[in-house]
Amino acid sequence: MIAGLRDFEGGRISQRELHALHRSAIQDTIERFEATGSPVITDGEQAKHSFATYAIYGLETLAPDGVPISFADGHIRILPRVTAGPFRYKTPADVYLDIARPYAHVPLKQAVSSASALSLLYPQDGIRDYSRQQYLQAVVVELEGEIRRCLHKGAHVVQMDFTEARLSIRLDPTRRLLESFVDLNNLVLERFSVDERQRIGVHTCPGADRHSTHSAEVDYAELLPSLFELRAMNFYVQLASEPDRERVLKLIRTHAKDGQRIFVGVIDPLDPRVETPEDVSERVLQAAQYIPVDRLGTTDDCGFAPFSDDTSRTRETAFAKIRARVAGTALASRRLGLD
Amino acid sequence: MSDRRLDRRLQTLYACIEALFQAGSEQELLQCICDTLVADGEFLLAWIGYGENDPGKAVRPVAQAGHGRDFLEGATFSWGGEERGQAPAGAAIRTGKACWVDDIRTDPSFSPWRTAALAHGYASCMAVPLIAGAVDLHGTLNLYSAERHAFEQSAIAHFAGLATCLTRAVVALRGHLADDLTSGVTALRASEERRRAQEALHQAQTELAHVTRVMTLGELAASIAHEINQPLAAIIADANACLHWLDAARPPLDVVRETLVAIANDSDRAAEVISRIRAFLSRSSVPHGPCDPAEVIRGVLPLVHPELRRHGIILEMSLAADLPTVMGDRIQLQQVLLNLLMNAAEAMREVLPERRRLVVRSTVEHRDDGPWAVVAVEDAGVGFGNNGDARLFDAFYTTKPGGLGMGLSISRSIIDAHAGRLWATTNPGHGATFHVALPGMR
Repeated sequence: MIAGLRDFEGGRISQRELHALHRSAIQDTIERFEATGSPVITDGEQAKHSFATYAIYGLETLAPDGVPISFADGHIRILPRVTAGPFRYKTPADVYLDIARPYAHVPLKQAVSSASALSLLYPQDGIRDYSRQQYLQAVVVELEGEIRRCLHKGAHVVQMDFTEARLSIRLDPTRRLLESFVDLNNLVLERFSVDERQRIGVHTCPGADRHSTHSAEVDYAELLPSLFELRAMNFYVQLASEPDRERVLKLIRTHAKDGQRIFVGVIDPLDPRVETPEDVSERVLQAAQYIPVDRLGTTDDCGFAPFSDDTSRTRETAFAKIRARVAGTALASRRLGLD
Repeated sequence: MSDRRLDRRLQTLYACIEALFQAGSEQELLQCICDTLVADGEFLLAWIGYGENDPGKAVRPVAQAGHGRDFLEGATFSWGGEERGQAPAGAAIRTGKACWVDDIRTDPSFSPWRTAALAHGYASCMAVPLIAGAVDLHGTLNLYSAERHAFEQSAIAHFAGLATCLTRAVVALRGHLADDLTSGVTALRASEERRRAQEALHQAQTELAHVTRVMTLGELAASIAHEINQPLAAIIADANACLHWLDAARPPLDVVRETLVAIANDSDRAAEVISRIRAFLSRSSVPHGPCDPAEVIRGVLPLVHPELRRHGIILEMSLAADLPTVMGDRIQLQQVLLNLLMNAAEAMREVLPERRRLVVRSTVEHRDDGPWAVVAVEDAGVGFGNNGDARLFDAFYTTKPGGLGMGLSISRSIIDAHAGRLWATTNPGHGATFHVALPGMR
């Protein structure tokens, strides 16, 4: 896939050939994902350029010199910058869902970008004849439409990736940026009914990429009180890689609202060691001490390659880790007497 | 202060200033400053806190270095005026001036934190506000020393200057990102709330309109029942006749057929009335579409005719042939017309029978923006009474005993929503005329 994308960008293969590669990768991912026994799967975001900017990849109204995001190992990702309005998605997530669905035999979770992530694309010095408010309004409308279509097309859950939550505290320790992010994302979520929001979730993590993260040093205590103000009903929370998981679980117990379901991260994608089912089970049992089991689920801390050029993990390692998650969760379930 | 100490302090300040230019993020900068300030051992603890706008007005540490992380986790500082706001960390935010404690053992303002502070070896402390001119970060840089009276005037001046530079650097790093986004999101939230309020208002108006339609039909129930009963009675009689004829040895089939046609016609007549009632009682509003005003008028007549007949009111119609098509909700427009006709009938209930004459007239008006359809409902009733016309369209204003006073108010809001106009005039002789003007479809 990586070579194929490089060939496409270099003009050596056509769009059609690239799409064929996407389909093949998605089909393979789904087959292998289903083989792990996971009750809910994803397409592995095989066709996305990146988890945050997939919808706008290829737009002509973008420049490459937007906000830089520095990671702890020193590498930097630079977000694109919007240069003109009106803002429209080029490839919304339901397009990827359309490709994946025919191959899937179990429920599919569909990831989407967040309004807050896209808010970072508007330039600081503004765009002539296109205000920040107009841009944000367009983002909200596009995202609502994208989520609605995904739900309508049968996504089991739509997961909004909110990895910039923790990053925002690094950028602005007063947390006003975080509060604006939460408010903006709520403007999207509030457009859905309570029933619809049962199928909408939010993912948070410190932004794993390659072998590093962009905001792991930010204390979860700074983030979690605001995170649970989001009007979503499912939260996919990175936990496995936290140095003090118990402390985070206590914070979750304190701040999560009634009815919100918590999917705790039990797999650390950055850790080259493949967790054992026993490891996972222990993490689940620990979480069950703080979160009622009817509101508790498991997930991976983060995607295994959120950017399309990330080669830090092999597919074999990724699926081995997912198998451990599935087996470990089942083991914990038995130990909790839930089977 | 000794020269050696002054040198060390200047070196620390130079290192801090270097950090001001090199830091890539605010968090990195604040942490770097704290690390630098404790590096040479002059201070045991350095931390930076921001004042929260929570009910307790907490001072939240955002960066710290040195000995005493657990001290900060256990301590609660506030920038409010109560006891927890008396420590330098909060007092400097509140007053905008440097604050310090020369001797933690004895200073009463530090008593809530004394035990823990002494356990960590702190003997004195100081806080300088993060202020630079008009910019106030609402925070403090805090230093803790193992020596009593560690913060003499020159030290305070040094660190106040550092805090000013730090403030300017933070402002530059934030680059107004939060300010810009907050103002954008705030404006968006305001416009979203306006949109929701408009939707809620529209929904309430739709529901109210539905309720008044139900009430209007309730008033017409007796007349409509009579209207339906007539064809039903005819159907029963005709059906019995047919049965009787069919019992004969040689049934008069031509007559039976003719009677069955009459039964079918009467059934259609009753079904038409019921169909119009069901449409009229529809709960939801429909999207605006092209409407022929003459059709709107004709659609209401089956509902109102029996009532007019019951009160001996003569209805005269004068419809222009070339009325423009309008964009609208047919049911809502019928509701307005029915309301005007019912009001007219009510106004004529007490007048002499020979005066009970109701005219529905439609005309075309050519205005600058194109043709408008104007429908007038003219009665010869009691009129508005003294000064009643000014409040006619107010909600809950009524001259009818038992009336709710919502009909005209809702009618006007419906016509307003169609970009039209509803108004009333007094007739030269008797009664009043209500006019509905609607713009033709562009």
